[in-house]
This record gives sequence, C-alpha cells and structure tokens, in this order.
Amino acid sequence: MADAIPAVAVSTTTTRVNPTGSWKYIRPVWRDRVAPCNAACPVGVDIEGYMNLLREGRDTEAIDLLLRENPLPAITGRVCDHPCETACNRCSLDEAVAVHAVERALGDAALARTQGEARTRHNADRVAVIGSGPAGLSAAVFLARLGYAVTILEAAPEPGGLLRLGIPPYRLPRDVLDRQIAQIRGEGVSILCNVRMGRDLAWDTLDWFDAVFVATGAHRSRPLGVPGEALPGVHAGLEYLRRANDGHAADLGERVVVVGGGNTAMDCARSARRQEADVLVLYRRTREEMPAIADEITEAAAEGVRFLFLAAPIKVIEQRGRVCGVAAQRMVLGHPDASGRRRPVPSDEAPFSITADAVITAIGEEVDDAHLPFALEGGAVPVDVLGRCGTPHFFAGGDMAGHERTVAHAIGAGKRAAIGIDQHLRARRGERPPPDDVAALRWGGAGNLSMSRWRQDDPVPRIDPVNEVVGWAGINAAHFARAPRLLDWIVPPGRGRSGVREVNRGLSRSEATSEARRCLNCGVCNDCHVCMIFCPDAAITPDPSGHGFVVDLDYCKGCGLCAAECPRGAVTMTREGL
Amino acid sequence: MKKVMVGNHAVSWGVKLARAEVISAYPITPQTQIVEELSEMVAGGDLPARFIKVESEHSAMAACIGASATGARTFTATSSQGLALMHELLHWAAGGRLPVVMADVNRALAPGWNIWTDQNDSLAQRDTGWIQLYCENNQEVLDTTILAFRLAEEVDLPVMLVLDAFYLSHTSEPVDVPDTELVDAFLPPRVARHRLDTADPHSYGALVKPDAYMEMRLHQQQAMSAAGEAHERFARDWSARTGRAWPALEAYRADDAELVLVTSGTITSTAREVVDGWRARGERVGLVKVKMFRPFPTAALRAMLRGKRRVAVLDRNISPGHGGIFAEEIRSALYDVPLDDRPALWGFILGLGGRDVTPETIDEIVVRTREAEGAPEREDIWVGVKV
Amino acid sequence: MSQIMIRDRVPANELLHPGHLACPGCGGAIAMKLVLNTLGPKTIIVMPACCWTVIAGPWPQSSLGVPVYHTAFETGGAVASGIRAALDVQGDTETTVMAWAGDGGTFDIGLQALSGAAERNEDILYVCYDNEAYMNTGIQRSSATPWGAWTTTTPAVQPQGTIKKDIMAIMAAHRVPYAATACVSYPADLVEKVKRAHGTRGTRFLHILSPCPPGWKYPDEQTVELGRAAVRTRIFPLLEVENGARWRFTVDHPGHDVGAYVRAQGRFRHLDESAIAHIQEDVDARWEVLMKRVVHGT
Repeated sequence: MADAIPAVAVSTTTTRVNPTGSWKYIRPVWRDRVAPCNAACPVGVDIEGYMNLLREGRDTEAIDLLLRENPLPAITGRVCDHPCETACNRCSLDEAVAVHAVERALGDAALARTQGEARTRHNADRVAVIGSGPAGLSAAVFLARLGYAVTILEAAPEPGGLLRLGIPPYRLPRDVLDRQIAQIRGEGVSILCNVRMGRDLAWDTLDWFDAVFVATGAHRSRPLGVPGEALPGVHAGLEYLRRANDGHAADLGERVVVVGGGNTAMDCARSARRQEADVLVLYRRTREEMPAIADEITEAAAEGVRFLFLAAPIKVIEQRGRVCGVAAQRMVLGHPDASGRRRPVPSDEAPFSITADAVITAIGEEVDDAHLPFALEGGAVPVDVLGRCGTPHFFAGGDMAGHERTVAHAIGAGKRAAIGIDQHLRARRGERPPPDDVAALRWGGAGNLSMSRWRQDDPVPRIDPVNEVVGWAGINAAHFARAPRLLDWIVPPGRGRSGVREVNRGLSRSEATSEARRCLNCGVCNDCHVCMIFCPDAAITPDPSGHGFVVDLDYCKGCGLCAAECPRGAVTMTREGL
Repeated sequence: MKKVMVGNHAVSWGVKLARAEVISAYPITPQTQIVEELSEMVAGGDLPARFIKVESEHSAMAACIGASATGARTFTATSSQGLALMHELLHWAAGGRLPVVMADVNRALAPGWNIWTDQNDSLAQRDTGWIQLYCENNQEVLDTTILAFRLAEEVDLPVMLVLDAFYLSHTSEPVDVPDTELVDAFLPPRVARHRLDTADPHSYGALVKPDAYMEMRLHQQQAMSAAGEAHERFARDWSARTGRAWPALEAYRADDAELVLVTSGTITSTAREVVDGWRARGERVGLVKVKMFRPFPTAALRAMLRGKRRVAVLDRNISPGHGGIFAEEIRSALYDVPLDDRPALWGFILGLGGRDVTPETIDEIVVRTREAEGAPEREDIWVGVKV
Repeated sequence: MSQIMIRDRVPANELLHPGHLACPGCGGAIAMKLVLNTLGPKTIIVMPACCWTVIAGPWPQSSLGVPVYHTAFETGGAVASGIRAALDVQGDTETTVMAWAGDGGTFDIGLQALSGAAERNEDILYVCYDNEAYMNTGIQRSSATPWGAWTTTTPAVQPQGTIKKDIMAIMAAHRVPYAATACVSYPADLVEKVKRAHGTRGTRFLHILSPCPPGWKYPDEQTVELGRAAVRTRIFPLLEVENGARWRFTVDHPGHDVGAYVRAQGRFRHLDESAIAHIQEDVDARWEVLMKRVVHGT
C-alpha cells in the first residue's frame, strides 16, 4: 500500500546496498614487485629494501638488510661498477640514485659496529673454502650463517685474494679490507693462510669436509705473445700490483707503457703514476670499448695517465739487456668478435715506436689449471648456477668459474655456491626437500639469488609478492619531485692523490640518507595512500594489519586509477579473481 | 486593533503576525507594497526574519524551498509574470511537501503588458499541487494569510492566497488587526516533519522510479483531501476566536434561489449587491462565493447547487480552447448529480485584463441566464466585449 | 622525500559511501570525496540537476553522509541562499551550505542564481565540478565546453566554435571574498582551498576541473593524469582570487605543449594541426591575461 512508500523521496539507506562491483571486468591487485636495481645487482642485494629503511630513519635495520645479502658492502661500495645505477628507474626522471655511495656509507658504518657474538652452529657439517678472495669470503660467511663450520684455506700469507693483491689501496684502503676480514672471522669463519692446495696439501685431505668450495681465482697474466716479452722491465700486471700493493713496487723508471684496457690495466697505470712515472696506456680498441669501469678511466686520465687507442704492441725493444721501448702497430676496427665488440685488425700504416723504461702487461688473466682437482673448459671451470661443477663434493665460483670477472660477481657466485652447498647437505641430512626453483630465488626471475628467500626469513613485509621487475613504465613520475644526485667527494687530482690515500671519499652519513630518499622504492608498497586517495568509489581502505590496502570488490568498478597512479608500480590490473 | 490599510499591507501584517522566518521575494507590480512593507518591518526589527532580496521570482521560490526544507516558516509574494516564472518550482514545493505560503496578486499575463486584475495567473497553476484560497476583501486577506500558515503546516502543502490587483492590493479598507497573543494561540511555531539536519542526515528528492512515484503523488492527493477538512476546522477555530468566518464556500441568499451566481474575488462584493437588487424585486437569485479553489470543494459545491435550476458562473479568466476555469470545474463537479437535480449551467467570461465588472455587467448576466432557452449556446459566453 | 606525499594533507574518507553510480574513473566522484571530507559532517548539500543527481543514488539510497537537497537545474545559488537563511534564523552559524553543481548548472542555466547569490554575498560555498559539457544527459555542449571539442550537439563536422566561458572572471567581477580553481589531480591543493574557503564567510566559489572518461573519450585510468596535463599546459591554471582583486597562482605551470593533452582525448580527435596550434595560441594569450591579473589585480 501507499503507506510503505513515504510522502517525500527521503533516503532511508545508503548506496552500500548497491554492489557496483558487478560493473568491472578488471580489478586491481596489490602485489609487491622487484626493483630493477635488485635485479641488476650481481650480488643480489635488496637495494630498494634498505633504501626504504633509510628513508624511514631505520638505519640499523637498513645495514642489517644490506649485510643479509652482501657481507662485503664496504668493499663493493668502493669497487663495484654499480649496474644497479644503470638500471635505476630514476635515470628516466633525472639521475640514478647513487647506490654505490649509499652502500659504501652503510658498509663503513657496519665496519664501525662492534662485532656481535659468533654464531652458534646449527649442524655438524663442515665446509672447506679454498681461496679468500671475494667469492671465498662471501661463500664462507653465508655458510657460517647457515650453521656450518667453515674453514678457508688461503695460499697467500694474508687473506683477501685480489682485494689485497690486485686492487690498489687508494681504491680499497687496507684498513677497510682488514676490518672486513676481521668481522668475517668474527662470524665464526676460520682462515688458514699459506696453504697452497695441490702443493702444500693434497686435495683428498679435503675428504674430511662434507663439501668444498673452490674459488682460487684467475691469477695468471696472459702473455702478450710478442718478442721481447721476457726482458727485464716487462712486468705482468697482477705481479706488478701484488708487489706495489705490498709496499714493494718494482722500479719503473720515468716512462711506462701499460698494455690493456681493463680494470687491471687502470690499476697498474694509476699505481705507476703514483710512482711518478709518465704513463701511457696502449689499447688496441677505442675508449668506448674499454672494459674498465668508466670512473676508473676518468680518474686515470685526471691523474695524468695518457692513452693511445687503436694501437697494439708487436715487439718489446731491447737495449742493453732490458726494455727501452715498444714497437706498436696501429689498428682499425673490423668486424665484431665473439664479445660483440668490433675486432681490431692491423692497419696499413707502418709500425711505430714508443720509448719506455718499463712495460706492464694487463691484457687479461687466466686460470692457472695446474694443481686443480678438475679440468677447465674454455679457460674456466664449468659450473651451474649453484656452483656445482660435476665433481662430487666440489663446488666452484668466482673468477675461476666465469668470465664476468668482477668483485661483485664473485661475491654473488659465493652466495650461490653457499645455497648450492646448503641444498646438497640438507638433502644428505634428510632435512626439508631442497626447492628446485632457482628462478624463484632470483631477484625478478633473472637477477642473482636472494639469500633471504633461500632461508625463507625475509624481514621485509611484502604484499603478495610477484617476482617481476618494475620498469620505468610502472612508475608514475608525477608523484616525484626532481632532485639532483649527490656527488661523491673526490680528492682533486694533484698532490693530494699521492700514494695510498683513498681518492673517492664518498658521501657523509646524512648525505647518504638524503640520497636514499631519492629512491623511488620501485615495486614495493610504502603506504603512501595514493591509490586510496584517487579511488572514485571509496572502495579502497587500509589493510587492518597496518600495511597495504584492501579493495572491496563489491564496489570496485575496475577503473584502474589506483594502478595508474601508484607511484611505484605496486598495483596492477588483472582479469583474474573478479 | 482597527486600521485602514491597502490589501497588500494586509498581507504584510498577516505575515508579520504569523512570525514568518524567511522571506524571499522579487518585486512586480502590483505586489510591491507587500514586500516593501515587510522589508521595513524586517529592517526596523519588528519582524526578526531573514529577507532574501533575490534576483528573480524563480529564485524567490527556490530560496523558499530551501528555507522551508530546512524547517523555517517561509513566505513569498508575486503576481502574473512572476508567478508564471515560478511554475516549475511550484510543482517542486508541492511535491516536496513544503508548507510555503505565497500571496499572489491576481494580475493578467502578457503580452501585451497588463498590470490589472484577472485570474489567469493563479488558475494556470491549478495543477501544481498548491492549495488556493481566494479573497474578497482586505480583512479576509489578512485573516487568510495567517490561516494559510496553519493550514500549510498541518498538511505539509504550500498555500497560495490570492487577492485582486488594485481592487484589493491598492485599495484601502478598514481591517481589524488581531493581537499577537491571539495569533500565537491560533498558530504555534512550525514543527517540521522533515528538515535538513546534519544530526540526522538524509537526502531529499533523489531519483524516484515508476515503482514508487505514484504512491508519493497519492500521498500528496490524500493530503489535499485532508486540507479541505483541515481548512474547515481552522476556519471554525478562527471564527471562534475572532468572530470572522471565511469558509471554503459561502452561500449568500442561495438556499431557495432558482438562479445562483457563482463568483470569486472582488466580483463577489459587486455580485452581492446585484443579488440584493433582484431579491428586492422578488426574484429568487442567490450567490455562492468560492474561496477555496484547491482542493476543489466538490462535495460541498454539489450540496449547495443541486436542485437549483440555473447556475451562472462568473469567470475572470479563460482557458483558451475550453472555457472559464471555475465553470469547467463546477460543471465537472456537477456531472455526477442525477439529471433531475443537476442545474443548467452557464459560464460567463468577464473582466479580463482588469476590465471593470460593474453591477450592470452582472445584471446582464442574470438576465441572460434567466431568459436563456435550452442549453447554453457555448461553454464560454463573453460579456462586455466589443466585437 | 622524493615522493610528493599527499597522504597527510588529504582527509580520510568518512562521508562518501561506495555503491554510488558514477562512471568508472569519474573525476566528479573524486572531487566530492575530497571536498566533503574536508568540510566534515556539518554540511548541507544543495544539488541541482547534474551528474551527481544520479551518482548520489536513487531513492531510497544516498551515497553521502550529510543532508542533501536535490533541486531544479537552475536553482543552486538560490536554494542554497534559502537554506542559509533558515539556518541563520535557527541560530546555526556552523553548518556549511554547499551548492554542488555541474558546469551546466553554473555557467549556463544556473548562472543567474549564482550571480544573484554572489552579489548578495550569501554565506554559502558554491562548488562547480566542471566536466565541460552536459554529461548527465549524454554529452551535449555547454558554455564550459572548450573550443574545438566534439559533443553530441557540436559534432565533429562543426565542433564547439566558442571558447570556454571565463567563469572565474565573472566571479571576480562579483568581488566575492574567495574564489579558486582546483583540480582533482592535485588533491592537496584542492583540500587546502576547501579549508581556506571553509574559513571564510560570504560567497565562496570553487571551480574544480573534473575529467570525464565517457565525455572526453579516454581510458578510465587516465583521469588524474589528464587533469595534471590540463594544469601543466596552462589550459586550466590553479589559482585563487580574493575579493575579486588579488589573483594568485597556487602551483607551478610549466606550460607544456597542448598537443599531448589534446591528442589524448577522443573528443578532440578530429582536430588537425592548425586547430591544435590555434588552441595553443589561445592558451598562450589567456595566460598573458592571467599573468597581468596576477601582477596587477583585475
């Protein structure tokens, strides 16, 4: 009857009785994704994660999160070529975040911390690590954290491998290296030096260990293959650096020619400059093809190293029984070789001579396959992603097992081998079945592995994470203000750069925090509320847990504004689960 | 307290005594003195109301709707073009069940411009759902103004009180202005059944679909029916307090009349004289005055007119394409009276655009009606035109 | 922090219920959510005919947690004046009376009532959410429709031939205490302006750009980005005017090319390069006029 309907159209209920969610054909999902820096990092660090913690003022947690995935940040912060910065989405806005500087600042802060107690062991297995370079140190620390008794056997008198013998102190100060190694010992790792496997100790003595990780590196300098190479005054690059970094640099005279274009060549050239020699680098391709870290080339040039490109030595010239010069041939770039770079071929011009008192060769390193328990293939130990090399009981990694020969790749390889060893030994102990899916451990499916994922104890709260990388297309730049990147304090070229004094002084802690705030936090929800603010339908509310958001599908119309506006690509639209 | 005042000021005094709270109006001849007087009352502090000097009549009614919806006692006044301009919102006030009171000074509609009286402006709004009360003299105007608020707030329907341009609006008559105590006793403060209240928020007037709209209109119609009965009650109450009765219909010397004139507005006073004249000559002529046009007092009218032989309706209006509006509605009301009892009815159109209606005009109508043979030759018989 | 955080500058939603009937991606819904929650529950809304008449929900539903009075198309300013008068008589000086109208009910049919209220300096907040056409009735042109736009009454063969009416200049001419433009894409700026309006007495006017996916013809999820583009291109500058004389910008307007904004909308699809150049010239010319106002006043 008319009584049920009022006299005037006065409301008696809200529109919540009206499920407009039936309109949609797509819906939003909040799924944390992977920042491109994490995926690009050869070590597999949760860079976005520690940047976020720094932004929130949680410095201690930031350092801990970094150390979880990279036990050597004070080192990588100084010597890594930072592919994270190349991949940084912020490049498309203004400039990449100076990740290297933040990592270094955190790494130095970590070194300043007093060591905690050594970990207690969790299992009875013992692992031997051969070589205390970055790969060996990395594997050892991760294995100790996983509860293993770890012993490093190092051939040299002091641990560090190329970190000590190859990289000069003006790039990696000795006290930083020493404190880092002391902290590693403090995590329960034993290091025995002056043990050359295969010579001082037979490989089968390692049967006492439950697994062995071999990371002895690539230390043999490749010969030039030209007449006169054996003359006094010709120095193999690594040998020259070993003595120079030891404080007993070879006498070079006034004019030095360095042959090569990689990091070793730059280290040699800059070290030679510090001996006040006039240094000329001969490189058979152009500057663009030099494999050295770009900053190294720039600093070398700033320090007065000169370069001659498209030139290769054909002979070392002798006078009075020693080097007096180099005969060189101009090159031209022909077709690309296996590395993808255009192959240099001799030009038609006549050779020319360069006067030199010393020649340092740095055209690449090789693995010394004498005294190894396994054979090389293509100049390296063949291994799979977890460091398995086909010989039972043995794992390998680092420069000896790959051709991406950088400190960061070595540390990453050490982590992968630690996971491989843990997987192997858990199976042997009858513990949880080892997961097969290495891709799930990789940041973004193709990056290096995450130790937190392996251990299943990631402290970062992630909302329904999916292992995809967020590219620039997933970022909404409108929500970010432009901000210039802070520049490292670099000692100006000149007398301030003498000897072992560190050239790049990095950023202060507060500068590093400011730089961390430039991070866009790609892919990981940080409760900025933008999705909720722009939802026209009031269908998004904060998740009761206090982190993240929920969408009420009864009312969401699938307009997609939340996904389009999320500054960091943590919300996407899908046809599933409507 | 007796005063001499023009009809417009009688409205103003009624509004003041009724303690209207929000007034919103736009000037138009011949309404202007209503609002001018009220402006002075408000500015002088005699009337603690808010007066919104809007920029058109449409906005005046809009503002009244807003104020009334918020629970205030609300008033406006207009005429002719202004009332026509308000048309859309007259529906809104009535459908929105808002007890707005409006004085309409009956004025002819343009073109050509005409400021004098006829009833087309108010009657053209007869379907908007407003109660319509017509007045014969300035006392009735003042009393009706006060009663209008009482009636409107009882049934939650807007009320239009109507007075003739110039004949009432600008003509001075003696008026007994009741005491405030009397009026306050008769007309308590408004207690709105619905009002905009942030403590109890609702929306009003949203989309209503076919499955509910009819019931809301039925409610409105039922309220109109209740208004007839309520008017009777309040008129009696007022009469008891003041001795002045203004019923919906008034029969004057009509009980035994053979011929009944039906009138409204000031024509009624003239017609009374004419009736007296015929009665003096021994002719049984009577008069029915229609005060309440909406709700149309069908039953009461039937009761008054059934059995009469001839009825002459005097319309100071015309519905083009049909006839005089009072005549149409009365004819329709009499349709269900059995044939034997149903009077013959003549509709006369007179006084449009303020043309004077004299006793001679009405005499002529009585003569024509008495002497007419058979049915009326047409629905609308135009009187006093120069053809 | 590199992200421009708006979280703490925008109120939580308490007064807009979901289940309302706005199209997906509706700028007008975002506008109401921001404005109403800033004003709070002591608000009465007058709603003349517009999209929100439907969005609010059919009887007996309401999507708004405050009293709403639906009124005829042209009456926003007048009904609001009446409500204000009644509240004043009742001694309530706290409740805000807000007229919430579209561009049709403001620029066209409602202009008279708005002008009347503004001239009287009625103590009301008048908000025009502008989607630049009569959208509720199916995308017909209004005097807020920009030059060159397609609508059903300005078809592509003869698109809108007049320029958008300068409603802010009209309101400034009334010397209202406070008038401002805002855009749903700049929520913190919008909220700030609502607060400033709320703290002022007299007639306050807000002109909010509300992009409309079906009317402007773009994908739903671009509403906020298009609003930004409108501001960045200076097509819809964000500013405030006090007492009709002090003009001030409230955000930076870099002056991006109008081309990207225009080409992103189907309602401009029929425009060729010379038409787009014409739009750019017009935007530049109007910017010059605005700059003079900012520097010199009206």
